Amino acid sequence: MPYDKPLPRLNADNQPFWEGCRKHELRFQQCGNCGHVRWPPSSLCPRCHSTEIRWLISKGTGRIFTFAVYHTAYHPGFAAELPYTVAVVVLDEGPRLLTNIVDCPPGEVKCDMPVEVVWVDIDDAITLPKFKPL
Amino acid sequence: MLRMLIDFSGDDAVFGHFGATGGYALAARRAMHEFGTGPETWKKIAVGQRKWAALNPAAMLHNKPLTEADYDNARWIVEPLRLPDNCLITDGGRAIIVTSLERARDLKQPPAVIMGMGMHNPSTAIVQSDWMAGPTGARAAKETAFAMAGITLDAVDACQIYDCFTYTVEITLQDYGFFKPGEGRDWLQDGTIEPGGRMPVNTSGGQLSEAYYMGLTPIAEGAMQIMGRCGQRQLGPATKTKSPEIILCSDNGGILQSHACILLRRL
Repeated sequence: MPYDKPLPRLNADNQPFWEGCRKHELRFQQCGNCGHVRWPPSSLCPRCHSTEIRWLISKGTGRIFTFAVYHTAYHPGFAAELPYTVAVVVLDEGPRLLTNIVDCPPGEVKCDMPVEVVWVDIDDAITLPKFKPL
Repeated sequence: MLRMLIDFSGDDAVFGHFGATGGYALAARRAMHEFGTGPETWKKIAVGQRKWAALNPAAMLHNKPLTEADYDNARWIVEPLRLPDNCLITDGGRAIIVTSLERARDLKQPPAVIMGMGMHNPSTAIVQSDWMAGPTGARAAKETAFAMAGITLDAVDACQIYDCFTYTVEITLQDYGFFKPGEGRDWLQDGTIEPGGRMPVNTSGGQLSEAYYMGLTPIAEGAMQIMGRCGQRQLGPATKTKSPEIILCSDNGGILQSHACILLRRL
């Protein structure tokens, strides 16, 4: 069955992130001036406005800041997966990523639960970073 | 419609995250974790506002009573938010006419006078936010408005709170200082916000039970109550509540990203 969910829209800022995902690496921008690790990608550091960027590879571990369990398919591509869990994961390096929690029934997901990245290959270009309990 | 939703949600749609209910569900869940709120608190808001709608023939849910059991049995939309935690979707309009006090004195209808206003816009996208469990912009906006009006919270007789979701009402009242974090459930006991209650909230039924006219739902109701034009639901002897001298109204935007409030008083 063809993949029928929305795919990320690549642009100059986020392309290195999604290329990293394809290689199963979580890459985040780190400010070359103040060291702040940020998400989403942007040309300026939101803390100090520096344009100096280096890319850091995250260890892929963090904790769940908050989550929501969808019982409604706003998009038909998700209908077969209800109920599913959307979460904000805070990576150990600092950035917060909106993602899904997998390999865990929605009723067992908790705030502050430690999680690690799981790679879901979609096609030749896109791999999605999802998370499961550690 | 689907295109609009995906455009609104950006790459969040990749993970099945769409629209406002999902965003507020993230905030509400964090609040459950941080200060122990939850459906037991929100149900008091949904049920209380529906009682006001029963007194408002113009309310979309006028003839649809809601009991606590109905709330408990309602379906999840995005957990922890159930259907009655969500505001209505409404086609319609509402307007406020603002003029000088000098002109207003001669009008046929008694005016509602603006005592103070405040606005505070933290604006951070909810996913990046540290304060989804408060303080939201409501705290700083309230300080500005009350300083301008020269009053304290004790002077407020009723509230019209922007209620896109039940949780929005709780976090707004909490950030205004009506109760401490997590004490909303106790504060709401015994019909505090309902007809006959000591602090009526959203007396038209609000966006949850009357109609969703964005910030116009609360402010129009605040003005109408001060003007004494609310019929069966009029604050005062008819609803066994205090006759309103001062009403606090709020507005909120994004996923708790912007906040405004206004204090209205009788002339």
